[in-house]
Amino acid sequence: MDDLAPSGADERPAVQAGTTGPFVSQIAPDFTVSDSLGNSLSLSSVRASAQGVVLYFTMWCPICDTHMSNMRSNVVPLFPNVRFLLVDYVSGSVANARNAEVANGYAGSQFTVLADTNQAVLGTYAATMGTTVVIDSAGIIQMSEDYKDGVRLIDVLGSLP
Amino acid sequence: MRISILTLLCAALLWGAAPLAAPPAFAGSCCGGSSGAALAVPKYARQLLDVSVDVEKYDGFWNSNGRYTSDPPGSDLTQYRLNLGLGQRLAPSWQASIAIPYVWNNNKYSGLSSSSNGPGDATLGLWYEALDDTTAWKIRELKDLVPSLLIGSSLLIPTGISPYDDVKSSFDVTGRGFYRLDGNVLLSKMLHPWSTSVALSYGTYIERSVNREYGRYVEPYRKKIGDRFSASVSLSYIYYVGTAGDALTATASLSHLQEADATIGGRRDPDSGFRKEAVGGSLIYSSTDHDWSVRASWNHAIRANGWGENFPATDIFTLGVGYAFR
Repeated sequence: MDDLAPSGADERPAVQAGTTGPFVSQIAPDFTVSDSLGNSLSLSSVRASAQGVVLYFTMWCPICDTHMSNMRSNVVPLFPNVRFLLVDYVSGSVANARNAEVANGYAGSQFTVLADTNQAVLGTYAATMGTTVVIDSAGIIQMSEDYKDGVRLIDVLGSLP
Repeated sequence: MRISILTLLCAALLWGAAPLAAPPAFAGSCCGGSSGAALAVPKYARQLLDVSVDVEKYDGFWNSNGRYTSDPPGSDLTQYRLNLGLGQRLAPSWQASIAIPYVWNNNKYSGLSSSSNGPGDATLGLWYEALDDTTAWKIRELKDLVPSLLIGSSLLIPTGISPYDDVKSSFDVTGRGFYRLDGNVLLSKMLHPWSTSVALSYGTYIERSVNREYGRYVEPYRKKIGDRFSASVSLSYIYYVGTAGDALTATASLSHLQEADATIGGRRDPDSGFRKEAVGGSLIYSSTDHDWSVRASWNHAIRANGWGENFPATDIFTLGVGYAFR
């Protein structure tokens, strides 16, 4: 019922830097999952070879598709040294994640699809559909919020060291 | 006597047209639900009570280019809505209504299941009966072509659970989170036993502040969903059952729904608008005095490229019962 009288107050809680957690300025929790081709992949290994990492949580819905399509056209080309990972938390298996990736037209794209088969990454990052997380090369979370129109994502990626 | 029967026929038409005036819900696992049921009290009645159950089955979506895409394998996404509506005649040509839905989301993917429920967005409505269709039997002169015309306004109230509420997951969403003010027109004409109606609606959402997304506080910003337009046309045929006057009304309809792009902080989000076309059919049984009616309807999105953009493709099955108090 909060929508009846929406608040514009900034109520973001203070977060202690140096702690590990899902919020901005915290250290990003590491994880290891399989991608949709069956390769094991850890956040730390991806981060080691990239300027930054973007996690986008998808359930292959129309809003997700719009976000991913926008990201593919408007964001990915601007940041060739950033890795873009789509976290599929609904498919339940590597094979199903691959099927969804192909059916939605993302096979062979610049995205790597992660099969979060038991929603471990989803839970660790307190994420849901459309949550977009930016992690810098030092492992610090620089952004964690809904994708919206992608403008904020471009701003944050543009300020990565 | 003829006027009396005519009034009853028009009432039957309204029973049929009212559900068609309801814009298709933008609902379900990702998008939030709402029931826009615009109730219209028959001319002879002072009150109308309507209870209905919607079952909305999700089956794929159209992407922003209009390409139809299936849901992930093994998924079964359904939203159930119990809608309670009350219409009240205020004056001979004025009436008001309220519609309150309660929503259950059941989402099953091959790797995840979720069930949640909560209130949906409520709708307050006001109708002015600008014209009455007084001749339903034969066109003798030009004035016999005059249709019935209802002009109204409705307010969508964000009583549902939105992404901006204290929720953890998109699966819990049952409402849009925005107030919306609509202007509505319902035009109908009967030439016994046929009738036709056109329902038009244009609505604008009220801009609001957002400081939380799915339970997580974020840097506050202002957001406004794009203006919404819906239209539907229908053709009905009334068949009398036996000799007592019970009537069976069969209706076929075609509907269009679109929403313009949203703005975030005054900046247009070019990928947020949507469009959907659907076909529908309904069967309404009304008692001899037309006080009671029972209806079953089906709204079907055509699962092919080009019949929508950036929107889920669904089938909506509705069972409803109404009673008009004299």
